[in-house]
Amino acid sequence: MSTMISRVAGAALIAAMIAASASAVAHHSYSMFDMKTTRTLVGTVKQFEWTNPHSWLWVYVPNDQGEMEQWGIEGMSPNFLGRRGWSKNTLRPGDKITLEIHPLRNGEKGGTFLTVTLPDGKVMKMSGEALRADAAKADDARPDAPRP
Amino acid sequence: MASHRSIVLSVVGLVALGAAAAGSAATAPATAAGASGDSWAAIAKRPDFGGVWELVFRPPGGGAGGPPEQPSFTPEYAAKLKAYEAEQAKGGHQDSPAANCLPPGMPSIMNQPYPMEFLMTPGKITVVIEAYSQMRRIFMDGRKHPEDPDLTFNGHSIGHWEGDTLVVDTVGITPDNALGSSWGMKHSDRMRIEERFRITAPDTMEVRTTITDPIALTKPWNSTKTLARHRDWDIAEYVCEQNNRNFVNDEGKAGIILNHQ
Repeated sequence: MSTMISRVAGAALIAAMIAASASAVAHHSYSMFDMKTTRTLVGTVKQFEWTNPHSWLWVYVPNDQGEMEQWGIEGMSPNFLGRRGWSKNTLRPGDKITLEIHPLRNGEKGGTFLTVTLPDGKVMKMSGEALRADAAKADDARPDAPRP
Repeated sequence: MASHRSIVLSVVGLVALGAAAAGSAATAPATAAGASGDSWAAIAKRPDFGGVWELVFRPPGGGAGGPPEQPSFTPEYAAKLKAYEAEQAKGGHQDSPAANCLPPGMPSIMNQPYPMEFLMTPGKITVVIEAYSQMRRIFMDGRKHPEDPDLTFNGHSIGHWEGDTLVVDTVGITPDNALGSSWGMKHSDRMRIEERFRITAPDTMEVRTTITDPIALTKPWNSTKTLARHRDWDIAEYVCEQNNRNFVNDEGKAGIILNHQ
């Protein structure tokens, strides 16, 4: 059984999340990610880097042969997340988690972060609850938005 | 008024500076109102810009006001954008230098998904911008722009009050940077940005921006945005080089570094 499931995001909620993620990009293009594909990863936290310009979640994920592979998932910055319910302790080494990501187009084991389901079942969204209300309706708040 | 005093309180880190300025006033009346700008007492009577402000994300399509106005380029600059987009279509120009942590400069630095803080001191308003740890200095002491300003990321800014509106004029912005949504949208060294900042509700600020450029634009480019004040926030550290795994190389190829031991 595959532990990694690819699927196309269709739910309105996920669409809102994409908008949220895109609106909050700090400094780079999302062209390297396949923003139309959402992939689910089930794994174990290696390290959660609470750093600028992005947080980085390093996670061990078993492949179809049962071998552990390391994935690197880019998230929003601590500045952004810290104001929206996250902390450096939200994810700890050894935590068993389920992630939703947009994967890299080039097939490398990386992606950009949508949601994480914590060991206690709580779902944390990369956009944060406070932003979702705004970002669900946002498409031009990107740093490179067509607005002076 | 308490709200006015809070401006001073909000810049508590500058109290020492204020004391120093007051101390030197006996010999050089640099903090008196007039050509040298507002005194501390005069600042206390200005609108309360204190606290931390963040861009309000706008609805798709721009909301009730419709989609944001787009810049109208001269043929020369329209051709630059077209050439850039043609290269992008062939797989080039995958990202802007911001991916390498270079700040975007004006006007884009004012449109980041990170907050900013206005510090009002005699003769100057300092805008502390969290993104890329940037800072703008708006001279309020009556000086003019330099005749031949050095070209910098954030330019040379002078400001004055028109009633309750802070009017800021900025020139001297390096044309190495871009105007907005695409790195192919360029401007000349003659670009001028006027910003009109006004408090419209207790924690709401409206910013009307007009960009002119006699070489790159055929008409002024106008836009309006809203900032929301977050009284319980502080500006945080943002060192882009700390753990930047994004890059764009000289050939315009972008990528991510996934090495992690």
